[in-house]
Amino acid sequence: MVDQLPNLGREKEMLDAMGMSSMDDLFADIPVAVRMNGELPLRGPQSEEEIIADARRILGANVALGDRVSFLGAGLNRNYVPASVFQLVTRGEFLTSYTPYQPEVSQGMLQAMWEFQTLISELVGLEVANLSVYDGSTAAAEAITCAVRVHNRKAEQKDTVYISELVPPSRQSVIFNYTQGGDITLKTLKHNPDGTLNLDSLAEASGSCGVYVEQPNPLGILDGGLTRVKEIIGENTAFIVGVSPVSLGMIEAPGNYGADIVVGEGQALGSPITYGGPLYGIFACTKAYLRQMPGRIVGKSIDVDGKEAFCLTLSTREQHIRRHRATSNICTNETLIALMGAMHMSLLGPEGLEKLARRNMAACQLAKQKLSEISTISIPHMNNSHYNEFVVQLPGLASDCISYLDTQGLIGGFDLSNWYSEHSNWLLVSFSDQTRASEIELLAAHLAVWSASLTQGVSA
Amino acid sequence: MNTDNLQIPPSLVRSKLPRWPRISEPEMVRHYTWLSNRNFGIDTGFYPLGSCTMKHNPRVNEVIAQLPGIADIHPLQPEHHIQGTLAIFHEMQDMLGICAGMDAVTLQPVAGAQGEFTAIRCIQEYFRSRGELQRTKVIVPDSAHGTNPASAAMAGFEIIEIPSREDGRIDLDALRAVVGDDTAAMMITNPNTLGVFEPEIAEAAAIVHDAGGQMYYDGANFNAILGRTSPGIMGFDAVHYNLHKTFSQPHGGGGPGSGPIGVKSHLAEFLPGPVVKRRPILPDDKLTTVNHEWWYHWKEPENSIGKVQQWHGNSGAVIRCWAYYRRYGNDLKTMSEHAVLNANYLRHKIIEEANEQGVSHLFADGAPVDVVKHEFTLSMAPMKESMGLGAMDVAKGLLDKGYMAPTVYFPLVVPECMMIEPTETESKEVLDEFARKFVEVLQEDPDVLHNAPITTKVRRVDEVYAARNLTLSYQFDE
Repeated sequence: MVDQLPNLGREKEMLDAMGMSSMDDLFADIPVAVRMNGELPLRGPQSEEEIIADARRILGANVALGDRVSFLGAGLNRNYVPASVFQLVTRGEFLTSYTPYQPEVSQGMLQAMWEFQTLISELVGLEVANLSVYDGSTAAAEAITCAVRVHNRKAEQKDTVYISELVPPSRQSVIFNYTQGGDITLKTLKHNPDGTLNLDSLAEASGSCGVYVEQPNPLGILDGGLTRVKEIIGENTAFIVGVSPVSLGMIEAPGNYGADIVVGEGQALGSPITYGGPLYGIFACTKAYLRQMPGRIVGKSIDVDGKEAFCLTLSTREQHIRRHRATSNICTNETLIALMGAMHMSLLGPEGLEKLARRNMAACQLAKQKLSEISTISIPHMNNSHYNEFVVQLPGLASDCISYLDTQGLIGGFDLSNWYSEHSNWLLVSFSDQTRASEIELLAAHLAVWSASLTQGVSA
Repeated sequence: MNTDNLQIPPSLVRSKLPRWPRISEPEMVRHYTWLSNRNFGIDTGFYPLGSCTMKHNPRVNEVIAQLPGIADIHPLQPEHHIQGTLAIFHEMQDMLGICAGMDAVTLQPVAGAQGEFTAIRCIQEYFRSRGELQRTKVIVPDSAHGTNPASAAMAGFEIIEIPSREDGRIDLDALRAVVGDDTAAMMITNPNTLGVFEPEIAEAAAIVHDAGGQMYYDGANFNAILGRTSPGIMGFDAVHYNLHKTFSQPHGGGGPGSGPIGVKSHLAEFLPGPVVKRRPILPDDKLTTVNHEWWYHWKEPENSIGKVQQWHGNSGAVIRCWAYYRRYGNDLKTMSEHAVLNANYLRHKIIEEANEQGVSHLFADGAPVDVVKHEFTLSMAPMKESMGLGAMDVAKGLLDKGYMAPTVYFPLVVPECMMIEPTETESKEVLDEFARKFVEVLQEDPDVLHNAPITTKVRRVDEVYAARNLTLSYQFDE
């Protein structure tokens, strides 16, 4: 432990300087009644090499996606992140800094986050972006409370926001926890049998504080109808779109079809999946929402010599100034992961992003075509466009299919009955730039074998 | 793979690509390296940012976090794919529970503020389950972190702020005056934000409990007390941990953090789900290399509040902090002892040095106590009065000496406050030198100090200009 505690063995010297005789003197202010006696009942310390050995053994028991052929996505996608991103992000000046409260010695991270804001702004087509919230789910939740703050005064349906019924329960749960304290009523928007948003029922949302939908939606569908949402709900209702950011290399920026707030899971740009965290949430909006938005924002300024400089701005929205009237309680965010995102975006450039988006979509489209050729399974939303993922309807339980594929070395996808209990035969399969054509062939072959075994009543 | 002829609804075809830079890898590497050279981290130098526990971040943690068994894992994989992660989560839940004297732990909250919010939500559901719907108020001392009132307000509570005593400690009379059958909880950190241990914490807990309320411990200052006392012993019902403070998750310029919470058994059924449990291995289980005794699995708490992050929290941070914990084991107590040793030593040295140099009249102790815990506060109000220079000027002067500045203007109860937290990972020599330099800054020519910093990449940044001329992204020539 000496390597972590420079003053180990020098306690007496330091205590003497203070006129103290023992370490206990330093804790004399803790009343006897609340002292902990004896040692912490924990294991003993380990050396660095022992820790690495244990980590390798324990984490070696995990099955990494890269160990298998994987079709599991459900909103988290395994896009290739270039090596330079991982190398640069471990630079101690970034890694071991904290919130840039002293801008004079924090210009690096401030500028990087200002550039991140620019990259996100351009990506989603809105004027303003913050420097990240926790993840896609909290971004959606914060967008909804933001919309209520902005629109409630004029809203005919007070404290009411409409969200797509397809939003996964885990994301809805986060949204509920963030909104219940403000007595916000969440109503759901219906979908058509083909998986697109039912625009007729959307009219109900007019006069509410906001509408939250996703593009692509949780079934992987690219819904052209969303470009009509803003004209249906009107000026006084926030149009909030959750995006998959890489898709925007091909798909129109929601800001260009009326979105007021764009949120999303940033992970596919810059970060591995890491068991679902850390990720980073994208939050961007028009200027009308700026003063009600959550989280930190970097502004460009000047120093006393008139030199270009960056600093945090609009802090009066935040908890350390506004306390219980703050727009959000968020303090620590996901800056370093957002930095990885900025690095990845900078490397891609506009054409690189488009290429990456195309590569993701091409894998999905090829898979759709291959799987549609299997007579024993069907693709319920076949006529729609898909990005990254789509639903396969199986002749048996999706959970059984996934178990079978697991025995064959394939991580087969996601059992959608976990989200939509009525669809126990729906398998959500996911593809990315990491998917090879041969892997799609493999999935098709195994699905055909498994499905045939069911339809013929033979155990696979 | 053919990337042409992709089917996109015509209305969704992107009209214009984002105006991103077009740069090659060498240019990108050089740009971010240049930026990193304009940023100050713990690796750069002493970072005494009070309340943030800027301790050294061991690099082995980074190596472990990049193993494929953590980076390349999906949260929807079946339990038999993730026995390693679950085993580590279980160990961390146990360890955190033991350190804080709590019965159950969730690792899901991804930051301290989210931990606060999560615990307050659990307390809210606890009272709802008991039909005590009238408990709508949360008490916070005026010295609390801003996240405390913000988190409770987000859950729908009314905030009752009570004044601290002049020495920064909790005023029990003020507390007695506000508790009642509408009290849901009190949120407090101990040691408090002045780095002072609240000796009457058990009495405060009794007052709140007698009124039927719950006690919430803000774990921001947990680094001060491990192995010496615990929130459980002090009478708290719920606590959040800042893994990025106490357990060395790198702060990353503002995140990611990790804010697990621990609760007493009566709140466990409300925790966000799922939490990791274990059972003995059964004959049908696939044996893994984790161990041959236990099978780890997810379990949803019975009356869970649901989720606060969509997946299982910041797993990457949890793994780093697991490695940190393994380094210390049951010696975490020594870690806290050294954090407190360093804080008291630095406080002593600054005062001693100021006395020797005849400038001790320029500042006052934030709290007149014999010992502090992991941090201490100084009020620069006397300097402000006599010279017109305050905490911010001293902070900027310290930047010129090659240090990160302490936290300034917090807590608000100390006028012209500087909050200094050295942490346990600084050597005596660094502390001695900082004390000398701190006093040098106080002796600086007022005009020079007013103009500080002069050695940094940019000089004092005009925050008012930034707010009045909002430029939040690159302005393109159309």
